[in-house]
Amino acid sequence: MPERSTACRASGRHAALAAVVVALAGCGGPITGGELRRGVDTLGATAAEGRLVALGVAQDRTKTTFVRTAARDLADDAQHEAEKLTDAEAGPRTAGARDDAVALAQDIDSALGDLEVAPADRPGARDVARRLDALSKRADALAERL
Amino acid sequence: MKKIFQIALGIIAAIGGYVDIGDVVFNTQAGAIFGYRLLWAIPVGLLGIMVFAEMSGRVAAIAKKANFELITEHYGRRLSLLTLVASLVLTFFTLAAELGGVGLVLTLFFDGPEQTFMLIGAVAIAAAAWFLSFDAIERVFGYGGLLLLVFVAAVIHQGPDWGAIGGGFVPEGDNALLYWYFAVGLIAAAFMPYEIYFYSSGAREEGWTEKDLGINRANAIVGYGLGGLLAVALLITATQVFQPEGVDPSHLSTVALGAQASFGETGLLLALAGLLFAIGGAAIDTCFSAAYNLAQHQGWEWGKSAGRPRRWTATWLALFAGGYAVVATGIDPIELTEYAVVLSVVALPLTYLPILLVAGNREVMGEHANGPVARVLGWAYFGVICVLTVAAPVLLVATNGGGG
Repeated sequence: MPERSTACRASGRHAALAAVVVALAGCGGPITGGELRRGVDTLGATAAEGRLVALGVAQDRTKTTFVRTAARDLADDAQHEAEKLTDAEAGPRTAGARDDAVALAQDIDSALGDLEVAPADRPGARDVARRLDALSKRADALAERL
Repeated sequence: MKKIFQIALGIIAAIGGYVDIGDVVFNTQAGAIFGYRLLWAIPVGLLGIMVFAEMSGRVAAIAKKANFELITEHYGRRLSLLTLVASLVLTFFTLAAELGGVGLVLTLFFDGPEQTFMLIGAVAIAAAAWFLSFDAIERVFGYGGLLLLVFVAAVIHQGPDWGAIGGGFVPEGDNALLYWYFAVGLIAAAFMPYEIYFYSSGAREEGWTEKDLGINRANAIVGYGLGGLLAVALLITATQVFQPEGVDPSHLSTVALGAQASFGETGLLLALAGLLFAIGGAAIDTCFSAAYNLAQHQGWEWGKSAGRPRRWTATWLALFAGGYAVVATGIDPIELTEYAVVLSVVALPLTYLPILLVAGNREVMGEHANGPVARVLGWAYFGVICVLTVAAPVLLVATNGGGG
């Protein structure tokens, strides 16, 4: 997957020009609260979508190949977000929240990884859905702090 | 039954614009973020493309000219070359994205390495384009894409709030630039230039004459209407299923989840099959459009109905190979369509102006020239296209590419 947040990739139809503008404007410096919040929002959305995929398995209303591929894509998104946040320079005000966000991303990645490994395991999927629901709420709570 | 098959051209052209790989995700996002509030943007674009498609088919039937032949005749050498280059780059990268999209859908069906399925998908679509007649291509991919009507059924199954849906068709103001970014994107989706290149050249492939003007109208209204209906259904489904959950759709798999929410595995499979035909059809749509444009600009013989002319056939085969080579690099197909859309901005007004001029010319069109309604709507929508041309890049920068 290219280096880009899910939300940005998803909604950026005209990303090429935007990328040029951002590059010209210059990037860098410590991560701001707003940027961190966008990352956490992306993580929350990833967890929420993963929960829907897991519920499909738990209710036996889906297809195994679909679940495995969808879970893998979402886990990649979470992992990518974790890497991005880990690499970001954080100031004293955002360092704690950044670390929390990295941990959140890793937990989401882990839950989705379990779904990817066992896409037909209904009790396991029920557990993954519960974990992802809790992680989505954790993302909301973290976003509110920012 | 014969009449039903006669609107296949309009359906496949509309599917190329409304439910190709980029637009299915974009429509779904619009609903997930803004709910029903952006529904009004779809009929605004829909009426415009119906007006221009009808004109374009009428010109093809009466003047026997496809869109790029008009462009070559009406613009000077430099301007027609600029239009050609912009349209070729746009259609080529969109083709690459669609081929990648076919691979993504196959991966969701069968699981396995994406790159392998992208190759299998590209070979299968190229084989279909080679072996099937033009009529068969339209029917297989156009009507196959209508499996996406499962989203219309999903909307009804979810027990929608019809009052709120109706309210969404009434335009409302919003201070958020992101709202306008999505509104412009939804309107612009209807006007993607390759739709009209394919439609007008397809009308020539089918040998439309004056007696086919009724079929042309049916294609413009029913064919494009079905494309618009699918776009509306995707947006409403996203509002019903994803907005309450806080999901931000970004993958093709997310789109399919909307149908699964209503009909379980059956809904999922219908949605995936519909996506496969729609995106595969869009791949042929874009590939042929690029080859038509180059051939019409150069004055080559073109079209499947002409018996696979050598240069035209070599062009579309090379485009398929090149498109696959682009996605084989590992670039995200959905992101690729986002890049491609930037290039469409240049081509938009240059594509639509000659249609308007020729369709209104009594010397060429005789009694079939634009009447007062078509004239007023045509110029009004040409104004809309010019506004889109300016607004899209401004909103793009202002919203950081839609990232907020």
